[in-house]
Amino acid sequence: MAATQTNPLRVGLRQERVISPQCLVIFGASGDLTHRKLIPALFELFRQRRLPSEFAVLGCARRPWSDEEFRSRMAEAMAAEVSQHRSAWEQFAACLFYEPVDLQKDEDVVRLGTRLEALDRQRATRGNRTFYLSVSPAYYGSGCRALANAGLLKDPGRSRVVIEKPFGTDYSSAQLLNRVVQSCGKESQIFRIDHYLGKETVQNILVLRFANAIFEPIWNRNYIANVQITAAETVGVEERAGYYETSGALRDMVQNHLTQMLALTTMEAPGHFDPEAIRNEKAKVLQAARLANEDEPWKCCVRGQYSRGGSAANPLAGYREEPGVNPGSTTETYVAMKLFIDNWRWQGVPFYLRTGKRLPKRLSEVVLTFRKAPVQLFDAAGGTPTANQLVLRIQPDEGAGFVFDVKAPGSGMRSRPVDMHFSYDESFGEPSDEGYVRLLADAMLGDPTLFTRSDEVEAAWRLYTPLLELIEDAPEQLPVHPYEARTWGPGAADNLLAEDGLMWRRP
Amino acid sequence: MAPQLTLQAPTELPPGEVPAYLNRLWSEGLKESSGAATFTLVVWEPSWLQQQLIRTGRIDGPLSGLLNDALLAAARTAAAELGLPASTAPTAPELAWALGQQPGAHSAEDLRGQFVDRAISAHQPRRLITLAPTLEAGKSLETLVAAYCPLPEERGGNADACGDVVVLRGGMGAMQQGLAMLQELIPADLPCWVWWNGSMDESPELLEALAAAPRRLVVDSSIGEPRRCLDLLVQRIEQGQAVNDLNWLRLRTWRESLAMVFDPPTRQSALDQVVQLDIDVEGQHPVKGLLLAAWIADRLGWHLVNSFWIDAGTTEGRGIGAEFERTDGQSVQFRLMPVPVGVSKMHPGALVGLRLICAPSDRAPLCVILCSESGGCMRLEAGGVASMELAEEVVPLPNESEEMEMARLLGGGHDSTNPLLAAAAELAAKLLPS
Repeated sequence: MAATQTNPLRVGLRQERVISPQCLVIFGASGDLTHRKLIPALFELFRQRRLPSEFAVLGCARRPWSDEEFRSRMAEAMAAEVSQHRSAWEQFAACLFYEPVDLQKDEDVVRLGTRLEALDRQRATRGNRTFYLSVSPAYYGSGCRALANAGLLKDPGRSRVVIEKPFGTDYSSAQLLNRVVQSCGKESQIFRIDHYLGKETVQNILVLRFANAIFEPIWNRNYIANVQITAAETVGVEERAGYYETSGALRDMVQNHLTQMLALTTMEAPGHFDPEAIRNEKAKVLQAARLANEDEPWKCCVRGQYSRGGSAANPLAGYREEPGVNPGSTTETYVAMKLFIDNWRWQGVPFYLRTGKRLPKRLSEVVLTFRKAPVQLFDAAGGTPTANQLVLRIQPDEGAGFVFDVKAPGSGMRSRPVDMHFSYDESFGEPSDEGYVRLLADAMLGDPTLFTRSDEVEAAWRLYTPLLELIEDAPEQLPVHPYEARTWGPGAADNLLAEDGLMWRRP
Repeated sequence: MAPQLTLQAPTELPPGEVPAYLNRLWSEGLKESSGAATFTLVVWEPSWLQQQLIRTGRIDGPLSGLLNDALLAAARTAAAELGLPASTAPTAPELAWALGQQPGAHSAEDLRGQFVDRAISAHQPRRLITLAPTLEAGKSLETLVAAYCPLPEERGGNADACGDVVVLRGGMGAMQQGLAMLQELIPADLPCWVWWNGSMDESPELLEALAAAPRRLVVDSSIGEPRRCLDLLVQRIEQGQAVNDLNWLRLRTWRESLAMVFDPPTRQSALDQVVQLDIDVEGQHPVKGLLLAAWIADRLGWHLVNSFWIDAGTTEGRGIGAEFERTDGQSVQFRLMPVPVGVSKMHPGALVGLRLICAPSDRAPLCVILCSESGGCMRLEAGGVASMELAEEVVPLPNESEEMEMARLLGGGHDSTNPLLAAAAELAAKLLPS
């Protein structure tokens, strides 16, 4: 969200909750996520004065760095920001520490405990600790175990663990991982992060639905004909080929980000704004969701993989030509599917989800298409009357739009669609925080509202189990259709909707 | 708000035995819990109004320290019967003082400090110490102690969310005596909040001793003589103490509503062209209105040129006028006027309305009027605003209890004074003519 001009009356107006004295321990501190997202988010929190003065970040990784080296590497990675806020960085950097730790080695974990106690004394952090596992997913379980065995998770009021996505690779591995982490601490200590939930516009789905009385009465099968959820990326696999080859779009985007958008769009109203009440409703609706055809899942899902495309001036490589990708790879970079939700509110309403890389635009949106007027009284300028659509734009151009018909000017009574438009930029002109800023603050505050609970994660994996099994057992039944880079995916995805007499919305 | 469960009924102990008893309680009696590692909250809870209403037989007990509907209704009735202006807020010290001149000898059970409001207990205070002075000045010191735990659904499965409550009760002399043992009762390694839940005029020595830095002080600048309230705020802030003001906190809906008007980027340039600011307040307590004006002036970079009293021409007394200079050297006129109201709000000096007139050179003037949802803004709506672009908003009343306001502060942490309050308090003190 781009900032235009800052409203001077808005400065400092938000009453932010303040984090208790805290030591944030980042495992995988030498990795990308730490210097690209986590430290910048913490620095932002620091500059917003939302961190307590009794605060420390302890970076941990196998590399034998010193505190100073860690600080200088972080400063180097954030050079532009550091030069812009030099004095703030100096103060913030004093909170950064480093300890070489291999979580698989008991002696390292013991040394970590000693270092944490020393930091408690040095920074007065009072034993409040948030452990952030920014490590390979293969180490989530053993990492939690190592922390628990060292007694670092024994106090549920003072210690928490944040676990990055992906949480498992399928339903059974997610169940197993849940069992492991829950044996290490209480569910209230486990924060499974999905950075999409940190986005202002994703949270706005809840506010739009439940702060306005006009939407809920029509937010159901009686008025809504279908729902499309899209998360489109223009980028290719970039430097993530190693990870992406084992995950693909289904695991990388659908099981988490798209499913969270689905849950927020379709959940029942919670009784009150309470983490458990909200997560109960999300889990319930995900448990009621299913593939449109679970017996023959290939009929309700399309996989695709981008091939060469772009222009003569700017040619784009195909996925199989990307560095680090198997030239014969069958990993999907695009996925489209149709779901149903078997409950009173949504029975019979199709939900179409799609995501892909190297599509023409970068955007995420939820589009609710309403049923057409029962009787067509007027000629439509476009030939057929347009169904009303509510478009929730997650990114970019964050906001919402409502499409409805009005009388076209002139003689006669012809209708034509117009767009009622709300834009965060135009209305607020204020930048919103990056998702990690919100989520890191919430984790340290112990507020789990925007984190996924074990039953949510399992329900999300269970939803896609028929597809994952099919890809594993009979991939030929769910082939990857090639699509040219910078197009809207394979033709088969259009057919998925054409069978229902529909088309994907072209944003 | 329902009171919270205690692990035991409050125990009355000789004052000298309290510290040792509490140590024993946590080391032996409650071995399963080491107590919440959160903060100590010390509350000065005189509840003079409630004590006087009970004494004069206008309400029944128990004496809880909570401002409930029955108490507020009785206070408004009493104000009318005692000949005080209709704009007198129930919590105005004048009302408690006037009641004090009335005969009466009723009494009620004193439960002050023995309730832990749900909003506050949700923040899991480690120790809640209440100083509860009685009307009977010579009453000796009584000390009550109890352990308590938040309800299970509030503590998120955390067994170490429990704390204890200590009540020191007696006449003013006993309160001075209680101060001596207070230091021993406040855990040194946890932050300590002192909530001065009374007039900022009263017991200055006690306030001085109780609210010494680095304790975080919470006051209500709507209660007490305006000059004293503002000077105390400024003095404490200048000394580097973390100061929070509930009166300032109650401005948030006004600040939010005004900020909302100027959120659209197309409107923001008008903020550089303000020529006039008018604020109407209930009755004769201008502090809240001055804090709002000072906040606006500070945010927009105005420089105060002078301030003066204005004859309001009403029974409400004098208004305040001032001239500011904008960053471009142009003048901004400010008026704060007391207006009469039929039914006053809970606290003195509540805002009735605000008018901000901007006169951009390249377009029609913009007039922003914010109106309290419970009052009218006829005075501000009059006076030739018809030719201007009008942005009129109704400001919702927060309608929160003092305990919820306090809980909001506790939830926010606030280990230093909000810089916006610091700037506004300093300017508001200058705005109040001597």
